[in-house]
Amino acid sequence: MTVQTLWDAPKKATVCVTELLSGLNPLVVNRLHEMGLEPGQALLNLGRGPFNGPLVVQIHDCVYSLEQQVARHILVRSQA
Amino acid sequence: MKKIVLVGKPNSGKSLLFNQLTGLRQKVANYPGVTVELKTGRFKQFELVDYPGAYSLSSLSRDEEIAVSKLNAALQQDDTALVICNLDATRLESSLTFGLQVQALARRHQKALVFALNMADELQRFGHQLDTAALSAALGSPVYAISAKTLLGIHEFRQGVLALAAQAEPAVPTIDHGDEQALRALSRSLSRQYGLSASLVLKNQNRIDAFMLNNVTGGLAFLVVMFLLFQSIFTLAAPLMDAVEAGIGALAHWVTSFIGEGATSDFLNDAIFGGVGSFLVFVPQIMMLTLIIGLLEDSGYLARAALICHRPLSYFGLSGRSFIPYLSGHACAIPAIMAARTIESPRKRLITMMTIPLMACSARLPVYALLMSVLIPERAYLGVLGHLQGVAFFVLYLMGIVVALLVSLMVSRFVLSRDEKSDIPFILELPNYRLPHWKPLIVRVMSAAKSFVYRSGPVIFAVTVLIWLFGYFPHDAGGLEHSYLGQIGHFIEPVFAPLGLDWRYGVAILMSFLAREVFVGALGTLFGIDGADENIAGLAANIQADGLTLGAGVGLLLFYVVALQCVATVATIRAETGSNRIAAGLVVGYGLLAYGLGCLAANLL
Repeated sequence: MTVQTLWDAPKKATVCVTELLSGLNPLVVNRLHEMGLEPGQALLNLGRGPFNGPLVVQIHDCVYSLEQQVARHILVRSQA
Repeated sequence: MKKIVLVGKPNSGKSLLFNQLTGLRQKVANYPGVTVELKTGRFKQFELVDYPGAYSLSSLSRDEEIAVSKLNAALQQDDTALVICNLDATRLESSLTFGLQVQALARRHQKALVFALNMADELQRFGHQLDTAALSAALGSPVYAISAKTLLGIHEFRQGVLALAAQAEPAVPTIDHGDEQALRALSRSLSRQYGLSASLVLKNQNRIDAFMLNNVTGGLAFLVVMFLLFQSIFTLAAPLMDAVEAGIGALAHWVTSFIGEGATSDFLNDAIFGGVGSFLVFVPQIMMLTLIIGLLEDSGYLARAALICHRPLSYFGLSGRSFIPYLSGHACAIPAIMAARTIESPRKRLITMMTIPLMACSARLPVYALLMSVLIPERAYLGVLGHLQGVAFFVLYLMGIVVALLVSLMVSRFVLSRDEKSDIPFILELPNYRLPHWKPLIVRVMSAAKSFVYRSGPVIFAVTVLIWLFGYFPHDAGGLEHSYLGQIGHFIEPVFAPLGLDWRYGVAILMSFLAREVFVGALGTLFGIDGADENIAGLAANIQADGLTLGAGVGLLLFYVVALQCVATVATIRAETGSNRIAAGLVVGYGLLAYGLGCLAANLL
């Protein structure tokens, strides 16, 4: 199974977080953890917003929008 | 008085719950971070304090930081009897992570805590039965399933809260759930056990978002919504404005018929009905704008609009979150500048605050409407959609936005340095689409109108009376031209001559640096005296007959698009940025730009 950044993950695909890459503000990393973006957690990629805008993802019972800079720091692999 | 603290995540119905418990009028909205100030109200023998919504106790944005620091301070106080933690019952997992953090904090400070799982009516709709007793046992604090919207379970909740708050020995949470990681794991397992399935909760939301956030349909829907918003401000408010205008005219006629001719009658006609009256005519437009922004906020669409705007706005050094303060800025710059606290990035927040005064706020509406009545024929070409004045309104609003974006770009590129690493990126929770509740909307519209009249009324009254006195006396000197005001006006006339405007406009512009809307009242008074015309409805006709040129008229419009003429806005910018230099710099900078644009139009057209 290929590992890629969340930004590059296919639309409508359920993926599993493998790693949060370094380089993000620690406050942001903490917030991502609270949102459920932790290694091992599954999420549904709903696609990018208009104008190649922020990524829209469903994490458990919530839908979030993450900008490219954040989504590129999250590694995921597709779920079987 | 003992306090009860109300905390919760945004979009969880917290503000509506506050209204239901206290009966106090307060802004209720469905956009993250609308409650940017603490609200207090009386709840039986207690004081209920509504804290701004926060996603976490580890703050990312300024509004969260304020919420968390105030909450910490409140929990250290002896008079805090109870914490109500309001959560969205339909999204247990994301809610409980925050709920458990608050519970741990309450436990640390030995304070009682109760969970209010709001929006339980939606659980019922899905046929889901929440086992509050079992959840309460697992959490170690009382749990109530309620709906602030339908009042489901509110009576029991009131009784429970009052009993808990009155207890001599506080009902401190009984279980220590461990560190942050353990809290997250617990919220996951509890939501799986007791919560509603995510696919059920998000089914409709995702379906609507597939359309609203689609590349083509989403962008189109956004443009249509924005165009209708601006068009309806003009067309839907028109009958109401006509009614107010006719009412004031009738009142003026009725009152002055008792008095007869003389100074008193002139004063009432020119200063009161002519000056203050012509400003009141525009209140319906302000109400319409507030209503439509409120509808968009409460329906959940504004968060999507922020998402759609993020990419385009980021080219100008702004965030998608800047969109909401920008849109609110079309009602009033003051709350909009406060709402910029929701922008996580301090840099983007500063740029947003600096450019909000360029949004066409409601105080500009009377000026725009008056000048457009003078310059543009009142004709409809394609029914309601093609109302020419409505189109011109849209253009003026757009112009304010364009100037704001250009200023943002310049400030972002040349003034404020960019540090990618420390900058906080755009992360936004998309709330569920909801049918707005009419009650808070109506309250909001009325309070917007009231605060506009109360805030501007006294200034306009004072200015119009002053202008009238200076313009009326000395009475036998040969009319307005030779009055005290005429003498002052002629003295400052050279400054306004390059704009193609005579001394009367100069006086009105100068006065409107207190507040823009003063311009209409001041001109109303000035033309009333000058033309001795008792027909207050005809101010636009008076100006037209007086021969305002197209260039000067357009220049005047451009001047009002850009100039920062509001003492209250300048004070708010100073308070929020903590910088006199920024506040003063904006007044001077926008003033010079406005003057330059006005001169250009007056000379080119």
